[in-house]
Amino acid sequence: MTTPRTLLIGVLLSFGATSLVSRAANAADTIKIGATLPLTGAESRIGGFYKEGYEYAFEQQNKKGGVKVGDKTMKVELQLLDDTSTQSTAVNLADRLINSDKVNFLLGTYATNLVEAQSAAAEQNQMLYVNGGGAASAIYKRGYKWVFGLLAPVELLAESMMKWIDQEQKAGKLPKPAKIALLWENTSHGKDFRKGVSDFAKKSGGGFEVAVDESFELNGKDFSALLGKVKASNVDLFLSDAHLPDYITMQRQYVTAGMCHKILSYGARGSEKQAAEALGKKNVEYILSAVWWSPLLAQKNPIAKEFATGFKAKYGRDPEWYQALGYETARALFTAIEQAGSLDKTKVREKLVAMKIPSLLPGGQLDFPAEFGQQSHAPFVVQQNQPDGSSPIIAPADSATGQGVAPNPTCGK
Amino acid sequence: MQGFSITDLVVASVLLAGLYATMAYGLGLIYGVLRVVNLNHGGVIMAGAYVGLVMHEKLGVDPYLSIPVVLVVSFALGIAIYVGLVRHLPRGAAGGVQSLLLLFGVWLVLQNAAYLLFTGNDQTIRTEYSTRSIPAFGLFLSVNRLVVFVIAVLTMVVLHLFLTRTFTGKAIRAVAQNPDSCTLVGIDVERIYSLTFGIGTALAGLAGVLGASLFSFNPTYGSGDLLKSFVIVVLGGLGSVMGTAAAALILALVEVFAILVLPAYLTGAVGFVLLVLVLVLRPGGLFGQRVLG
Repeated sequence: MTTPRTLLIGVLLSFGATSLVSRAANAADTIKIGATLPLTGAESRIGGFYKEGYEYAFEQQNKKGGVKVGDKTMKVELQLLDDTSTQSTAVNLADRLINSDKVNFLLGTYATNLVEAQSAAAEQNQMLYVNGGGAASAIYKRGYKWVFGLLAPVELLAESMMKWIDQEQKAGKLPKPAKIALLWENTSHGKDFRKGVSDFAKKSGGGFEVAVDESFELNGKDFSALLGKVKASNVDLFLSDAHLPDYITMQRQYVTAGMCHKILSYGARGSEKQAAEALGKKNVEYILSAVWWSPLLAQKNPIAKEFATGFKAKYGRDPEWYQALGYETARALFTAIEQAGSLDKTKVREKLVAMKIPSLLPGGQLDFPAEFGQQSHAPFVVQQNQPDGSSPIIAPADSATGQGVAPNPTCGK
Repeated sequence: MQGFSITDLVVASVLLAGLYATMAYGLGLIYGVLRVVNLNHGGVIMAGAYVGLVMHEKLGVDPYLSIPVVLVVSFALGIAIYVGLVRHLPRGAAGGVQSLLLLFGVWLVLQNAAYLLFTGNDQTIRTEYSTRSIPAFGLFLSVNRLVVFVIAVLTMVVLHLFLTRTFTGKAIRAVAQNPDSCTLVGIDVERIYSLTFGIGTALAGLAGVLGASLFSFNPTYGSGDLLKSFVIVVLGGLGSVMGTAAAALILALVEVFAILVLPAYLTGAVGFVLLVLVLVLRPGGLFGQRVLG
């Protein structure tokens, strides 16, 4: 005779079995994509931006039903962990995602040093690794097969800016030769910037001459000696590559030292609202910057428009390049999976190698050229702060939303 | 170097020395009296910067006017850390490693509390005079840096007078020299330890709010300052206020003038080379061991 206790055990067992079967079925219909981001620690602010980009991409894809894999449509699930802005954690968590959690693919973290370390772990495990957070060309010069990057190298950033400056020089607005003070942070980011400017100057046929070439440590306390050196050299162009805190400190000292140059730039920094608040709108006027993406691209690029509109509707603010790159990184992986029609890593990799798709990035196309180690070389957008507080895109011409000004009209006033 | 203004470099060094000295007073004082290396020094510098930020953002108080509040908060924090934690450690060499670990742990707690409260975003305090300068001697002198320098000099004078002219100051010096004998003459050594830890922590908080008026900062702020403070305290000789100030000036001069012969990114390392040289050639510091003051 069946006792109530036996009955209860039977019900529980059958419930458990049903649950297991259902979970197995769900797992089979879901693509698990792992990622780590610096959600705490020094890079947490930007890590949070990338998280928004990833989550928005996954949400949009699942709203469409998921990713088409052959004849079935599978949901995408993001397994996101916090790498605490440290290299060792980023590597350990990538190992865990690959070997314990058995994710199908990996999306990358943010910041060059973290991507550099984590991508090596992915390569060792032959795990497909698509990232939008590592720009240094050194990451892609290691001959890795499984690593793909959406951030174009910083050398290209410097070159994009120099092309606009060159154009202004050819229009007679800047002296020829123009003397450059080149200050760069002592990181792979800074070294790439230096190379971009130096190479352009060498090829300019005497158009540009690097008169000061100095690097500085991150999070510097005092740049007055360095700025004194620049002041003494009477250069025309002040081109520096700095992260936000150093940009703010250096620009404060630059302004208080009464310095002014025909062209002033801090590389990718310059158009941030935070910097304008920290320095005062007047003190960031006419600063030139080049970035990987701008919401202004939405005026001319339909994919950028769709992303920027949808993102603003969800988060109530305009996206910055960080969210855009996070979103586009996930979208590139989804597209490759759909094109491969399979979750087989080798097949998806082949599609990424051959990828040429319309993109929200400047230039409107995304690819991973083999000659650059599978690192995107999408162009940069060059922006310049204007007295009204706006930072229109001034180059390249096909993305421009405004006119740049050279030389800096505030000098001598 | 052609065209390079030496006056410019000297002025830059002197102004930088003011900030460096303020950073190091607290570390030197605590080590001089308690023989405890306060690894939480960087954490309190960071906390001082955030107190200044909150006062400025929420209450609209100028960062320099918020100094009394920062001093009181940091002093109270120092007393709490001493009474709650440091007091229970063994004195002398036996407590050395334990105090290092303990205070490093407190620093991590403070840092993570800052992440929790303020996130890892870079913060900046901007005032009307943040980018203002005064033309003098053919140079542009930053108002902010001048104010920081004046406060640093005042701190040095007040600290020196306190340690040499007041009863409590003399008691602190006596305890630094021989705590056992102090007990015999009726000095409450525990009270002096706790007071010294509080004053040292308050000075770190002061360095934090001064730094916040000049630089961007986030919860990792203070770690670089701690390293520089070590260099200054060792150069100046442990437990010497004037020695600390002089060592800060030497470090600033060496770092700033190094740009004439070295790439800029190496100038920060010059101080550490100097530190090694002093430890090898004059282990007691450039100005020898003194008992405070």
